[in-house]
Amino acid sequence: MAEIQQNSGGGDGKKRAKKQSTRVDMTPLVDLAFLLLTFFVLTSTFSKPKVLRMIFPEKLEKDNPNVKPPEIKDGLTILLTANDNIFYYQGALNKETEIIRTDYTKNGLRKLLVEKNAPLIEKLKKLQIELADVKEGDTANRNRIERQAKDEQMQSKLVVLVKHDKDATYENVIDVVDEFLITQVAKYFVVDPGLDPIETAKIQEQLND
Amino acid sequence: MPKVKMPRSTPALDMTPMVDLAFLLVTFFMLTSSFRAPEPIILDPPSSTTEQQIPKQVFLIMIDEDGRAFVDVTNAAVKSKVLKKMMSQFKTGGLSEEDINKFAGVGPIGLRMAEIPTFMELESTERTAYEQRGVPYDTAAANIKNSELYYWAYFTKIEAHNDYKQREEEAKLRNMEFDKSNYIQFAIKAASNAKWDKIQYIIDVFREAKVKEFQMITGLESAPES
Repeated sequence: MAEIQQNSGGGDGKKRAKKQSTRVDMTPLVDLAFLLLTFFVLTSTFSKPKVLRMIFPEKLEKDNPNVKPPEIKDGLTILLTANDNIFYYQGALNKETEIIRTDYTKNGLRKLLVEKNAPLIEKLKKLQIELADVKEGDTANRNRIERQAKDEQMQSKLVVLVKHDKDATYENVIDVVDEFLITQVAKYFVVDPGLDPIETAKIQEQLND
Repeated sequence: MPKVKMPRSTPALDMTPMVDLAFLLVTFFMLTSSFRAPEPIILDPPSSTTEQQIPKQVFLIMIDEDGRAFVDVTNAAVKSKVLKKMMSQFKTGGLSEEDINKFAGVGPIGLRMAEIPTFMELESTERTAYEQRGVPYDTAAANIKNSELYYWAYFTKIEAHNDYKQREEEAKLRNMEFDKSNYIQFAIKAASNAKWDKIQYIIDVFREAKVKEFQMITGLESAPES
């Protein structure tokens, strides 16, 4: 598309400097630019993946009979099984324990955790409001509130155990841990052994209903 | 009626702003994009609502549906050092210095040590076709510390520590600020539908090497409104 100005022919015979167009044909340049643009748009990965931090306790010595896995008397136990099924019960396990079925939706697991964790959520909310009022640069106060929030988390009474059978998937575990983060559950453990026979039997009962 | 005369000159469009824009975008994408290293397996990780960014340097453990483990270190210098230690531990020969340096660029690896020399001899196009069966590991209590996966974790932990100390010293020597958060962390990327059992086995191997903290790589999901 180079533009060439057509001279209308010498009119009066005087020699003039040729009026040459200063325009450059930019079409190839544009072609190249868009080619590169398309390439980078298609190959670039925009959002970097995020990470979820998980800490596992040091290994218990299996051969040592004195070392027993910790037992939690009044905790909440969540059981993950095949086909994204999820169950929970409160307290210690015995024959009378009622195992309740729930699901991964907002009204299932999250509602349950919010209810159970209400005292801590309440306290943290208050601290958050307090933190919003702290003036900028007032690090002493800020640190104090942050420390207090940590203390509250440490003293939280809610302890959640996550147990799974061999069919639970990675996604199930991540979903549950993510749910803990959302509902501010401070103390949770993903334990490695499979389900107790009592638990398995009760789950089977539930599934058959 | 006289005919409307079309102007003779060629229809010219001033493309300068368009070119400006196009190059601006090209520059932007060039500078922001980072190229992914070729990966031997494609994993679809689950999503979560965390907003924590992936650490700058990681020891990446990829676990697929079948429980195959792939390892990678994003720091090339550390990766080469770890490979050298692995070679002496498992008495693997046949790798030149050049191969060792090249190894750092091949991305995640899921091979037995014995396979690595043959793997490095291949052309890069042949490498993608090579079937990797995962780094071997054994979860039986007696064997856990003999497995190759354990040593990958163990040596990386040592080398990561050395690397950190070295950089800290260098920064001190030059009187520069040192970024304490920039150390090699252990990150797990696993397929959503992988069985947690298998992932737990692999985590157990790492726990044996005294690695307790893991960064689970997840996709992004928007947080629910409180």
